[in-house]
Amino acid sequence: MSLDNLDTDPKVAFMTRAIDMGWIGCHTCGTVHEGDQTHCRTCSAQLHSRLPNSLQQTWAWLITGALFLIPANMLPLLSNLVLGHNEGHTIAEGIAIFFQTGDYFVAIVILVASLLIPFSKIFVIAILVLSIQFRWQLDNKTRLLLYEFVEFIGRWSMIDVFVVALLAGLVKLGAVISILPGTGAICFALSVIFTMIAALRIDSKTIWDAHPKDTIE
Amino acid sequence: MTDHDNDTYRAQFDQDPDSLIACPACDTLHKAVPVQAGHIARCTQCHFKLMDPKPDTLTRTVALSITASILMVTMLCFPFLTISQAGLTGEVSMLEIIFDLSHGWYNILAVLVAAFVLALPIVRMIALIYVMWPLHQGRPPPAAARQVFLFAEKLNPWAMTEIFIVGTVVALIKMMGLATIGFGIAFWLFCGLVVVIALKNAAVCRWTIWTLIRKSPL
Repeated sequence: MSLDNLDTDPKVAFMTRAIDMGWIGCHTCGTVHEGDQTHCRTCSAQLHSRLPNSLQQTWAWLITGALFLIPANMLPLLSNLVLGHNEGHTIAEGIAIFFQTGDYFVAIVILVASLLIPFSKIFVIAILVLSIQFRWQLDNKTRLLLYEFVEFIGRWSMIDVFVVALLAGLVKLGAVISILPGTGAICFALSVIFTMIAALRIDSKTIWDAHPKDTIE
Repeated sequence: MTDHDNDTYRAQFDQDPDSLIACPACDTLHKAVPVQAGHIARCTQCHFKLMDPKPDTLTRTVALSITASILMVTMLCFPFLTISQAGLTGEVSMLEIIFDLSHGWYNILAVLVAAFVLALPIVRMIALIYVMWPLHQGRPPPAAARQVFLFAEKLNPWAMTEIFIVGTVVALIKMMGLATIGFGIAFWLFCGLVVVIALKNAAVCRWTIWTLIRKSPL
């Protein structure tokens, strides 16, 4: 991997942050502004040295997402309407059915996307926010890894929502059997969306504020 | 961190504030020294990609966005999946799947699929074409280029075409016992679309675009 670091001048080896100079660095494009500016001259985004109330907002979205995850796992994700007989199953039951029938690929995809990712994501965001809030001695490299995990992995939980939508949209063609989305599916989708918003409300700059000199080299 | 370095930054800021860049991910200041196309400039502190200039970033992004838009529109006109069950064969397009869903509270699911899989990706493509086509032609950025490109960037995590394709495969395996499912033309177009969108996103160097947009008056 080629790393052309910007500061080749050895005298500028230590890190100065925009906030140390009384400046504001744009969160979107990185343009540096005087501390009294409100909107970025480059990209028009609102300027904040650190996102205001980032922690409260993250907590609010995260708790909402966590609450929706409870009915998402208790209520049926899908109902099979077989000849008038309605049988629904939850996420966990669905995974168990696939393990029993030997469809290990599907079982593992759903296990990862619908159980492991949503739960671990909420857990990881909570750890991250707590570590920022209470300045835990967690090194920045770990925190950055956690942050990237929630940023890039979280959206993949939507797989199961799309599966339910497709199945329900498709199976109506056959008159004998029909699949209906369960209430669990909508709770699950909302939980994924709320935790995605929670992840977006984290200000990654605050990750580095606790130990500004700890680089990940 | 010494006063000397801070003085250097101060002097440089006073001379030209655009010659500095603060890492959007960690706030570390850097001198914005443009790197060659094909090279990547990363933040010295957190390794965030600060500059990622591509050869012909404008041409590539515009071309791939137009390709993706055409694929998207074409895809909607063709059957996505074919289903045979008990001698009956049916075909459904993406739009039919979405409309079949839209009853009662299932509307929420239909709206989510329509937005994340179809609408947001295409809005992002149109926004990119709107901003980058004039720049590609050597003209000044269009009106509200800042707001439009900012919006396109914010849309990025919500465009979920690649996730939908995995969902399709899982849904097909789930259905194997119930009916025989085949792929329609639109499915293959959609696979192509996912690849083109990935290439398009990789062709965008945000720093290059912002630098071009910055030169236009507010």
